[in-house]
Amino acid sequence: MDEIKNKKLLIVDDEDEIRNMIDGFLRKEGFARIYHASNCVEALEVCRSVKPDIAILDVMLPDGDGFSLLSSLRQISNMPVLFLSARGEDEDRLLGLGLGADDYIVKPFLPRELILRLTAILRRVYSPPMQEQRPVFQLGGRTIDLEGGIVENDGTEYPLTAKEYALLFKLYESRNRIVTSDALCQAAWGDDYYGYENTLMVHIRRIREKIEINPSSPEYLLTIRGLGYKLVVKEV
Amino acid sequence: MAGTVRIIRRFISATIAISILMLVFNFILLGVWVFKGINEGHSPGIVVQKVAKGLHPSANTYSLDSSSAELLNQNNAWAMLIEDTGHIAWNYMLPDELPEIYSRADVAKFTRSYLMDYPVFVWEHDEGLMVVGYPKKSLAKYQHILPITWVSSLPLRVASLVIGNIALALLLSLFIGSKLIRSIRPLVQGIQGLAEDREVYVEPKGVLANLAQSVNRASDLLQQRNNSLKNRDEARSNWIAGISHDIRTPLSMVLGYASDLEENIEIPIEQRHQARIIRRQAEKLRSLVSDLNLVSMLEYEMQPLNKNPIRLSALARQIASEFLNNGLDEHFTLEVEILDEGVKVNGDEQLLTRAITNLIQNSIVHNPDGCQIRLQISLDEEYKTCSFVVADNGMGIYQNQLPDLLELPYSAKRKHPRQNGHGLGLPMVARIVKAHQGHLILYSDIEKGFSAEIVLPSIMSD
Repeated sequence: MDEIKNKKLLIVDDEDEIRNMIDGFLRKEGFARIYHASNCVEALEVCRSVKPDIAILDVMLPDGDGFSLLSSLRQISNMPVLFLSARGEDEDRLLGLGLGADDYIVKPFLPRELILRLTAILRRVYSPPMQEQRPVFQLGGRTIDLEGGIVENDGTEYPLTAKEYALLFKLYESRNRIVTSDALCQAAWGDDYYGYENTLMVHIRRIREKIEINPSSPEYLLTIRGLGYKLVVKEV
Repeated sequence: MAGTVRIIRRFISATIAISILMLVFNFILLGVWVFKGINEGHSPGIVVQKVAKGLHPSANTYSLDSSSAELLNQNNAWAMLIEDTGHIAWNYMLPDELPEIYSRADVAKFTRSYLMDYPVFVWEHDEGLMVVGYPKKSLAKYQHILPITWVSSLPLRVASLVIGNIALALLLSLFIGSKLIRSIRPLVQGIQGLAEDREVYVEPKGVLANLAQSVNRASDLLQQRNNSLKNRDEARSNWIAGISHDIRTPLSMVLGYASDLEENIEIPIEQRHQARIIRRQAEKLRSLVSDLNLVSMLEYEMQPLNKNPIRLSALARQIASEFLNNGLDEHFTLEVEILDEGVKVNGDEQLLTRAITNLIQNSIVHNPDGCQIRLQISLDEEYKTCSFVVADNGMGIYQNQLPDLLELPYSAKRKHPRQNGHGLGLPMVARIVKAHQGHLILYSDIEKGFSAEIVLPSIMSD
């Protein structure tokens, strides 16, 4: 974690006040090595001298736009870039992301949102790639081990099939929220819900047989009529 | 080119009609004028017949009744009765130069032609042969001797004459017509181009040169007007985009510092509460700015559409789930009714989601006491259009206020001021639907709920 806070940040924006505000929020979060630039020329200079680890770029700058700045930056550095723009048009967003920006935030923004997205990028780029831990969680008396693909009940283990696993994983990802049948089919079969209704129902019933105490009146994997399913998990 | 073909067809039929009309007219004229001329007064045949009948023998001599005498006087004619012996038994105004005795050869000769240049006509009489003579050079005598075959083929000849005339008229009209069309065609193309809003130029030459110039001028004017309209729309849209941009930066600061204050635990709770109000209002302003921008881009057709095939049933489930997941108030129910699972449209998913979300949001905002909201997907019988209905059973509004809802707030077209909300929601829906070549139909009445139907062209599902 401290590793991330130690990274060098570059803020490029022509408005002093915006730069100072972002600077303030970042310092409050524990970032200390923050550099400023108010135009493209300064930004390139700082990049050469300091070699920052991440840059927050405004799209509209007095001596050029952020997109061309990104192209120039790419020639000297591969650091992640986050656009912070007052232009919300979809075209700009797509152009920015298409040029290889890591994220695109439209002004006005909430400081918390900026910091969350910034740290997410830093973590993704700079944290050592660790084995992603699949979740293990409790449903009533049963343990659902998505790492091992097993449902454990009173010492008996019920293995999950690949499709059951995919469905359960998708439901767990959005636990306590409705997941539409379409999204579930997309997750399990990579295809449209249209034509998979019955198959989906069969698989849901099989999952219920493994995780529910009484599969015909489910407590955890609920049917939301007309929409999809919801996995109710009580957070500990 | 359909237009020119139609013109030439009209032209030809008009020519044929005119020639037939002229033919008929000529026949009538011939009949009336020519034959009437021949039969002016009484024909010589009738005169001689009448005179023969009007001459009665009386006591060794003959007496002519007055009407026959009148008839002869009218025609300046003379008459004589030749006996079988060849002598003249009776005469009337007989010219002196004529002989008194006639042989059979004489009779045969003058019967066919003239008697000493007098055109004469004969008729039988009980006592001999009645001869009526007209003045010299007053009548011409012709004998028509026709072969029977000629007479019997007369109808055929007349018919072929008529047909020949029609064919000639047709050929002539085709020739003249095609010449005319050749000169009209560029003009027709030019005018059709104008109707399709294309830039056109017609070479001004020939009889119709000034017409071509008019077409060119009209095209120039149209283009100018289009350009200025486009420029104005672009300017307006850019202006709104610029304003939005300029508002966004200061709004960032308001939002940023307000939410910072809101989370600062060193500040008294009351001030943090106030900071929260500032933050919320700034967020409202943020959504207003982006809505305004989107509506103006749609209004001036500058919003790029990222179109993909979308299954409406999946979209409905997605949006309904989103509302339920984000904690829909318990006074509201949201149900999805899919009448056709496979309905697909070609559309921008983000914009369509926005439109449906606006409609559901409207139902929620305008019915604070709660209502049932129903999303319904259906396909028409011909599989050409499909509809996405968002209906509630809430308070509804007066029918006569419905058209207002689609106008932009503060627009001169709006009859009643807006009630609540920023008033961009429904205009935005209408414009999103229009950008998808669809239309929006609203139904409502007071206490009867509010229902919005989005009708979109469907694409065939596989």
